Parts: sequence; structure tokens; C-alpha cells
Amino acid sequence: MSILRITNLKTWFPTRDGIVKAVNAVDLEMKETERFGLIGETGSGKTILGMTIMRLLQPDTRVEGEIVYKGHDLLKLSEEEMRKIRGKEIAMILQNPTTSLNPVLKVGNQIAEAIRLHQGLDKRAAKEKVVEMLEAVKIPSPEKRVNEYPHEFSGGMRERVMIAMALACNPTLIIADEPTTGLDVTIKMQIVRLMKEVTKQRSMLFITHDLDAAAEICDNIAVMYAGELVEYAKTEAIFKNPMHPYTQGFLNSLPNRGLKPIRGMSPSLIGIPNGCRFYPRCDCAEENCKINHPEMVELGNGHLVRCLLHDRS
Amino acid sequence: MIEVKDLRKHFSSGILKKHSTKAVDGISFQIRRGETLGLVGESGCGKTTIGRLLLRLLEPTSGKVIFDGIDLQQLKKAELRRLRPRMQMIFQDPDASLNPRMKIADSIAEPLKLWRKMGKSEQKERVAELLETVGLNPEHLNRYPYQLSGGQNQRVVLARVLALNPDFIVADEPTSSLDVSVQAQMLNLMQELKKEFNLTVLFISHDLEVVRHISDRIAVMYRGKIVEIGDTTDILGYERHPYTNELISPASIEEDALLPGDMRTANPSGCVFYPRCPFAAEICSKKEPGMVEVEKGHWVLCER
Ligand SMILES: Nc1ncnc2c1ncn2[C@@H]1O[C@H](COP(=O)(O)OP(=O)(O)OP(=O)(O)O)[C@@H](O)[C@H]1O
Ligand SMILES: Nc1ncnc2c1ncn2[C@@H]1O[C@H](COP(=O)(O)OP(=O)(O)OP(=O)(O)O)[C@@H](O)[C@H]1O
Ligand SMILES: [Mg+2]
Ligand SMILES: [Mg+2]
Repeated sequence: MSILRITNLKTWFPTRDGIVKAVNAVDLEMKETERFGLIGETGSGKTILGMTIMRLLQPDTRVEGEIVYKGHDLLKLSEEEMRKIRGKEIAMILQNPTTSLNPVLKVGNQIAEAIRLHQGLDKRAAKEKVVEMLEAVKIPSPEKRVNEYPHEFSGGMRERVMIAMALACNPTLIIADEPTTGLDVTIKMQIVRLMKEVTKQRSMLFITHDLDAAAEICDNIAVMYAGELVEYAKTEAIFKNPMHPYTQGFLNSLPNRGLKPIRGMSPSLIGIPNGCRFYPRCDCAEENCKINHPEMVELGNGHLVRCLLHDRS
Repeated sequence: MIEVKDLRKHFSSGILKKHSTKAVDGISFQIRRGETLGLVGESGCGKTTIGRLLLRLLEPTSGKVIFDGIDLQQLKKAELRRLRPRMQMIFQDPDASLNPRMKIADSIAEPLKLWRKMGKSEQKERVAELLETVGLNPEHLNRYPYQLSGGQNQRVVLARVLALNPDFIVADEPTSSLDVSVQAQMLNLMQELKKEFNLTVLFISHDLEVVRHISDRIAVMYRGKIVEIGDTTDILGYERHPYTNELISPASIEEDALLPGDMRTANPSGCVFYPRCPFAAEICSKKEPGMVEVEKGHWVLCER
């Protein structure tokens, strides 16, 4: 059963310099209890894709396409209906813990508020639940920590608070945006295990730069470049047998594979040229890559790639 | 370039200031000019706090920081201000270090205006140059931080820091919000700057592979103390401290040993790592270990 089906999604921002096409014709399907990894270039539209699903973008953003969650198109819901979905049905762990936590509220109260809002618990029960949640994300001495303010937490602890908040309301789908950045190896391992465990009965869209974590957690992975998905496959296939030249270059820039960055610069998302978006940086590019925009093609076994070199039609 | 002597920072919290967190607890080390010192250790062990102390963005409880022969503690406000352009920090969370109401172009130009008293056109030129250095597009200049991605903002922060050609940078997780390709670009860039300008860096990171690539020496921290310090090849290859060992091969740790060190319940006497140490002996719970030099320039805080 599919829990989330995105069709031809476009998220465009009008700016003074032109329209920023942050998400462009994205198709994506998530099955129930699937852990779906989204990796790719900085600034390629991963966070914006997540925020579009949650409908958290400013009103002047242009959004087109379909986001069908459990049979309902989220883009057609009223703000009131959407509010019921946020947190309870779909929860998002935002990328920047410092700006997402309120600096003048005690950490415990912030989590408790989220719980009470959605679960209708009384104050005391909520407080107990908060301690339980902080314990689950391995915050030492949670009974004391609940009474502290965000600035008294280290960077990694704040990240863990964000995870606790998202889990607090027991959502069906979690969109986790970089939940393991800034965590050390041991805590990361715990968080990865925790995320795996808590998503046994739910689905997760896992946005990350941390390829080890993605490999450990995800069933399938999609690679994003300049607002488009360029490759999609089973996790193992992405790492062992990447087909798109971008994915290949990307993996080669890992420190333990030689730290070789892809040459050239990230493309502008304003006035994108017609051909393949990776063309100017691609070492395998041919003449027609400059003119023709590649479609996603299936190479068998559910491995999809957007590259003319693989498109035999 | 940097010399730290018995530095301490204790935070107290709670209504009666009863709990005290020894975020930095008696640390001494040096960073030579042109050297990159990697600082690693578990979340909450005090890395960011050290970084802030080194630049005197935070007052230490006790101890000394000497920057290029100048004792920072002795400086008056105005003297410290004059030193500011020479020492800069890249903060862990880029969004928190940019002014949300300031356009990217102005954010990068601000230090130039403030410290270099540059004219408008000169500023523009330098901003364009910096933009290219960190790999951003000119189209980003007219936007506000919320209109950029996490990794793009991180590069804005880097451009701001590089604007003044500082001598010393504290880089707190500078690449953790970047994709691996841009991360590789940034690390190569930092290496170049180091060669070209003899830049001195304290590089805080959780990613040992990254630290291995960028650092000349590495310091390993546990609960407010440096437990091991030495050349990169010594630390990642011939490590001596059981905690360093744990960091390098976390897969070998048992599940229940994975409890993070709680700074609040530090045992009053003995070694900080004692409760978690697989090699702990009787003596470790009683006597606080001192730093021992096991090889030239390779120090370990361990009795055994
Ligand atoms: N409000 C906005 N107005 C204009 N452009 C925007 C806005 N918000 C984001 N963008 C642009 O949209 C693109 C996608 O941003 P997004 O935050 O989704 O990137 P990302 O893939 O999450 O990157 P990172 O890995 O760095 O977090 C970026 O190039 C960004 O500059
Ligand atoms: N202003 C403060 N008031 C009280 N306690 C603080 C304050 N700042 C930091 N601490 C505490 O000091 C300890 C060290 O924090 P620090 O931010 O230096 O950790 P860190 O090593 O940078 O961790 P991370 O890797 O998670 O960023 C933590 O236990 C934190 O809760
Ligand atoms: Mg993002
Ligand atoms: Mg920190």
C-alpha cells in the first residue's frame, strides 16, 4: 500500500532575480513502513520538498502537482484540516535545531506543549512523557534537563530534542531533515538505531548528507540534483552500482574515497537551460545532452535513472 | 600561536545554581602557527565551549588563553575589539550566526565595512571574489538567509569569516551541513588557505575521516578534559587511550556501554573515563590521572 504518492510536483519561488525552480516535476512514491532516503547536492531542493509536503512554505510560493497522503491530496486540504495532519499524522524534524527551538521556553515545556496539543494529556502525564522521550533519545539526566533552556544544551543535544519532539505525537509518517548532523559516532549510532526502531511501524522520508546513516536506515534511496530526482534504486544498488554520473561523482567525493569534489559549480535554479542539468559538470556528456532533457528510465529491478546515456528509446 | 593554560569553564544551572557542569575542566594545549588542530569527542563534552573560550566570546572560570603572545584575559574591551578581525569563529549552526533580516550581500560585506572601512565598489568586488571562493551564485546575493538552503548558508558564513583574512579560525562542525562533494571542495579550500596564508585552525568535528584529512594534530576530549593529544597519525593509528579507541571503532562497543557521559554526575575523584573504561583498575577510581608523554608529542591522560 502506498502511503504517500507525489506526482509532478513543482515548487517555485518568485524572487527579484527571477523564478527559483526549487522542486521541478518530482514523482515519488512511498510504501507503508518504507524508509525512503533522499540524498544529493546542497541546495538541490530536499528541504523544500519536505516543507512542501508539510505545507510550511510562505503563501507566495507556487506549488503545483499532487501530494496524495492516505488517499487525500494534501494540496487540496484547508489550512484547518492540514493543521490536524501536522505533528499527528506527519511530523517533520527540521534541519536547524537552534532556530526551531524557542530560546525563552524551557525545553521540557516545549515538548510537553506539543504532546498536550495533540494527545490531550494533562500537565503531569505530559511531563512524564517528556522525560520518557528525552530518555529515549539518550539525553543524560532527563529529569533535570527538562527544566533547562535550549542554550544550555550542546548542539548534539538540541538535535536530539528535535527528534524527541517529532516522535512525541506518534506520527505515521516522519520527515527527518538531517537528524544526525552534528552528532558524534556513538550517539549517531544510537540515534540511527532509534530511528530504525521507531520507524518499524511507520514510514520515514529521511533527508541526509550522512551516507552511512542512509545506508544503514533506508530501504530505497533517491538522489536529487538541481530540483529533480536523477536516480532511484534500492539502497544497496545506489552505493554499489550507481548509474548516474552525478551519483558516481558524488560518491567519489567521500573522504575515504579520495575527497575528489565534482568539478564546476552547482547550477543556478533560475532560468535553467533545456538539456540535462548536470551536463556542464559531467565527464561522460555527449553533444545531445546539452539539448535534450532526459526522462527517468527504468533499467530493471526498479532502478531508475535520468540520463541520456542509459536512455535507449 | 595559541597557548592554553589550565583553562576551566564551569556552568551552574538550576534555580539555586546547585548543579554545576564542568564543561571545560583544566585543559592545556598549544596550536602552532599554520597548524590545524582537530578537536573530537562525544556530543556535549565541551568542544564548542573551548572554541568560544579561545576567542574570548565566553569568560573562563579560570585559566589563560594566549593568542600570538598576547594574554587575552589581560586585554581591555577596546584592545580585544581591535584583535577581533584576526580571530574568527564558524559556528555550528549557520542559521543562528546570520542576521535573518540582512541580505546575503550585506552579511558578507558587513565585516569589510566594519573593520576595513572599505568603500562601496571595493566591497562589491571583494564580495564577488569571496562568493566565487566558497562556490555560491551571484543570484544568492539579493536573498535572505531563509531563502537559502542549510548548506548555502554555511558557505555564506564561511565567506564572512574569510572576508577579513583572519590568522586564526575556530571552525565548529563547518562541513556537517554540506553534501559530500561540496564538503570536499571546502576542505580542499581550507587546505589551500592554510598553505597560502599560513592560517591556524581549531577544527571541531565528529567526522573522523574529515578530521584525519584536515588536521596536523588531533586532541580527543572526554567530559571536559583532553584525554589524548598528538600527531594525526599517532592518534588515528597508534591511539593509547581507551576512549579514543572507542571513537575509532564504535562498532566494537557493547550496547549498554553506549551511555553518553553525563557531565552532571562526574565522580569527584579518579579518572573521568573510569565508569565506562573496559580496562579500569582499582587505582583509576581513586587517583586522578595526569598527562603522560608516551612518545614525542603524544600525550595521554591515563594511569595505565
Ligand atoms: N524562500 C525562497 N526563495 C527563493 N529561493 C529559495 C527559497 N527557499 C529555498 N530556496 C532555494 O531553493 C533551493 C532548494 O533549497 P533546499 O533548502 O530545499 O535545499 P537542500 O537540498 O535542503 O540543501 P541542503 O542540503 O543544503 O539543506 C536552494 O537553491 C535555495 O537557495
Ligand atoms: N550557557 C550554558 N549554560 C549551561 N550549560 C551549558 C552552557 N553551554 C554549554 N553548557 C553545557 O556544557 C556542556 C558542553 O557543551 P558544549 O556545547 O561545549 O558541547 P560540545 O562538545 O560542543 O557538544 P556537541 O558536539 O553536541 O556540539 C554540555 O553539557 C552543555 O549542556
Ligand atoms: Mg536542507
Ligand atoms: Mg558543539
